[in-house]
Amino acid sequence: MTDFLFVKATLPKAGALVLPLAEGFSLSGLAAEADAACQGAIARGLEAAGFKGKKGQSCTLWAPGAHLSRVVAIGLGAAAEAAAVEAAGGALWPLVSAEPEAVVDAAALEAPLVATLAFGARLRGYRFDKYRTREAAEDKPKLVRLAFATTAPEAAKAAWQPLSAIADGVFLTRDLVSEPPNVLTPAEMAERCKGLEKLGVQVEILGPKEMRKLGFGALLGVAQGSAQEPRMVVMRWKGAPQGSTAAPVAFIGKGVTFDTGGISIKPAGGMEDMKWDMAGAGTVIGLMAALAGRKAKVDAVGLVGLVENMPSGTAQRPGDVVTTYSGQTVEVINTDAEGRLVLADVLWYARERFQPRFMVDLATLTGAIIIALGHEHAGLFANDDALSQQLTAAGAAVGEKLWRMPLGDAYDKQIKSDIADMKNVGGRPGGSITAAQFLQRFIDTKEGHTPWAHLDIAGTAWATKDSATVPKGATAFGVRLLDRLVADHYEG
Amino acid sequence: MMRLRLRDRLGRKSARRFRIRPVFAGALRREADSLLVPGLPDWEAAGRRAADALPEGVADLVVEGTALAPADAVALATGLAMRLPLTARLDLWHEEAAALVPLWDRAWAVLQGAAFARGLVEAPANLLTPRDFAQRLEGLERHGIAVQVLGRRRLAAAGFGGLLAVGQGSANPPRLVVLRWAGRIAAPPVVFVGKGVTFDTGGLSLKPAAGMAAMRADMAGAAACAGAMLALALRDSPAPAAAVLPLAENAIGAAAYRPGDVLTLLSGRTVEVVDTDAEGRLILADALHYAVRAFRPAAVVDVATLTGAAITALGHHRAALFGTDAPLLAAVAAAGEAVGEPVWPLPIAASHRADLASAIADLRQCASGRGQPDACHAAAFLREALGEAPPPWAHLDMAGLATRPEGEGEGRPGATGFGVRLLDRLVASRFEEAHRA
Repeated sequence: MTDFLFVKATLPKAGALVLPLAEGFSLSGLAAEADAACQGAIARGLEAAGFKGKKGQSCTLWAPGAHLSRVVAIGLGAAAEAAAVEAAGGALWPLVSAEPEAVVDAAALEAPLVATLAFGARLRGYRFDKYRTREAAEDKPKLVRLAFATTAPEAAKAAWQPLSAIADGVFLTRDLVSEPPNVLTPAEMAERCKGLEKLGVQVEILGPKEMRKLGFGALLGVAQGSAQEPRMVVMRWKGAPQGSTAAPVAFIGKGVTFDTGGISIKPAGGMEDMKWDMAGAGTVIGLMAALAGRKAKVDAVGLVGLVENMPSGTAQRPGDVVTTYSGQTVEVINTDAEGRLVLADVLWYARERFQPRFMVDLATLTGAIIIALGHEHAGLFANDDALSQQLTAAGAAVGEKLWRMPLGDAYDKQIKSDIADMKNVGGRPGGSITAAQFLQRFIDTKEGHTPWAHLDIAGTAWATKDSATVPKGATAFGVRLLDRLVADHYEG
Repeated sequence: MMRLRLRDRLGRKSARRFRIRPVFAGALRREADSLLVPGLPDWEAAGRRAADALPEGVADLVVEGTALAPADAVALATGLAMRLPLTARLDLWHEEAAALVPLWDRAWAVLQGAAFARGLVEAPANLLTPRDFAQRLEGLERHGIAVQVLGRRRLAAAGFGGLLAVGQGSANPPRLVVLRWAGRIAAPPVVFVGKGVTFDTGGLSLKPAAGMAAMRADMAGAAACAGAMLALALRDSPAPAAAVLPLAENAIGAAAYRPGDVLTLLSGRTVEVVDTDAEGRLILADALHYAVRAFRPAAVVDVATLTGAAITALGHHRAALFGTDAPLLAAVAAAGEAVGEPVWPLPIAASHRADLASAIADLRQCASGRGQPDACHAAAFLREALGEAPPPWAHLDMAGLATRPEGEGEGRPGATGFGVRLLDRLVASRFEEAHRA
């Protein structure tokens, strides 16, 4: 674990010094002091390396003098705006993580941006290494103390607190998504939700008996092939000011802890990736931790449906008809379109019990969304333009981009069933859209309109290469986005 | 062409023809030799529903428009005509036909354009080789459209490396056809670019046998552009317009181009071929580059049955829209919405362009492996062809919309003419303004 500190500027006596520099920089303050102590080696070194402070540029100078083991320059670009500062924070991490101590000269940045820089570094520093039992010491990061030298340490620390809570939420999500499926069963995942109680979140866990009583026929149908019992977890954070009468905001996540496809089994190649088919639920759990951790002034509920989708003698079959909690019946054509079945019951329950201001669900729902959009944007489906715009803006602000996709009656027709109210797949054409149409049938009712958005994160939940603040692996896509949505529009 | 007439009176023989009767309540139903069609609020959609409900073999209709406002009557006839077989005969009967004339003339022109496109799309590939296609386009000269056809030798001299490579496996060599409508406004033209693969076997990256017959429609983009040009000419549009139509057959053979080949496109860019079945973007890249260079256009809109990914993304109800110019994209989307040919924007993200990085050429034609966002990759690829000073550009991937597939439940199978009305409406809404006159 690395300590993140905010300190007055003093030249370190050893270790690494990091210089975030904007385009057209001249060395001043701590940087100038260090340069002088090194007899001008830093200025000469940056000049020789062609370092100009451009976005994405970095330069390491080894042992330039004054007992410093290295000086790392990181480009902030022309404007040094928040996104560039956060990315610079991410970029500095791998360049100093082999040092026990490093000081970042952040004196030129305002306090909130100092915190942003630290946030970027912390996000990038995530590592899931609990199952590496023989890793050589030199391969592990050694950084125990990362200090940000600033003119206003107290203000930077104050700005850091909520960001650090968000990072905690992001890390919780990344841990959950990274965990192997034999460890992270539905029961285990529900237990981990219990951990949120220490942050002040109320946690209720429903087992198969309770769900059977309620009539969660769709969720239980998916779960019935597995030896692992399903769970639904309801997490409630009550942070709204006393006397607030606003309904809570609701987040719903798909949590298929492992998805074999069931009887409609998936091909063997790549099946191991299906451990992260619970990323929607993982994101909701991390989001609840972030909101509670930073004491967000909002009432929020998070609901996750947790199941394992297995083929077996007791498994659901293609052709089965299940009765959902809403009373609507579904003909199961393909047991690998299970996420929407799980969400159907949880969405209906969430709306009925909480009458929320809005509902946002997250799910690694369809392969079709990857073919539609790739891995840079998640698919956004919404029955409400205002909510859709708020989400898109929040995503752009935190670098978790959304792209809106259409809904409509023509697509809804594709899920008509000959023998039930609907079927669970609508064919290849518009596969992500028909999945969203399915979900919408569990949102809109005769009683009224609940603003709703569905984020299909199948293409964005897992990264195959590092980016500025997200190491490869579980991304926790959605935690920051939804935290920002709440912060910008639903607090106070 | 389809026979479409506006009448204020009907002759005695008309009594024996099948009637379409608009009604203001109740369900769509048949009554003897007529169909009662409820239409509110959208009479054009009602026309489409009526066409789908016609008894087998009925192709000679009288639309009784007298009870309707002029615009509604024309809309009803339009919806019908878009779905009728190309051999059909339709009279729109309205007692005050004179009041309908301007609306009708316009609708008629566009319906003829759509019928022309549908006829091309429905033509079997042995009867519509690139040469046959070019010959049919030469027939547009009698409507005042200038037609220029470039054959293999001139394409080679000019450096159309993409078009020539795609066509080289076929016994039917490729063509580039350029259509020009002068209009009356002294301004740079709007240019349509349409994919015209007269048959797509996939080449060496051969498609599966099942469903391959549908690949005769892989020239629907070029057909839509040609149909739109005809519509503009028939209604004497003031806007100058052009169409650049690369025509080729993607065949398998001893001379066919291969995965791994490196081609030099007209733009001078080198391309590593990954999959010979991603041929459309190669011929379009050359045509787009030619369009930009030859015309310095006010805008370029390309139309293509380009990727299966567009169908996976948006199904058979919306075409995928890509581009670089927000006002143009908004105008395309609005035009599509207005004429019942809806589109939906999809992104060209930085990662999509990055996915096309090649180890040995300027770029790869597509990414390898399953599950790729290939419609986005194709759009990123095409953007590279626009050159250093790109004009406003929009790209329509209409793979899901060229034909109504059998068994999809939406009307009788056949070519839709998708794109003709959209392009015509786009020109009307954006390139015919008075200040450009």
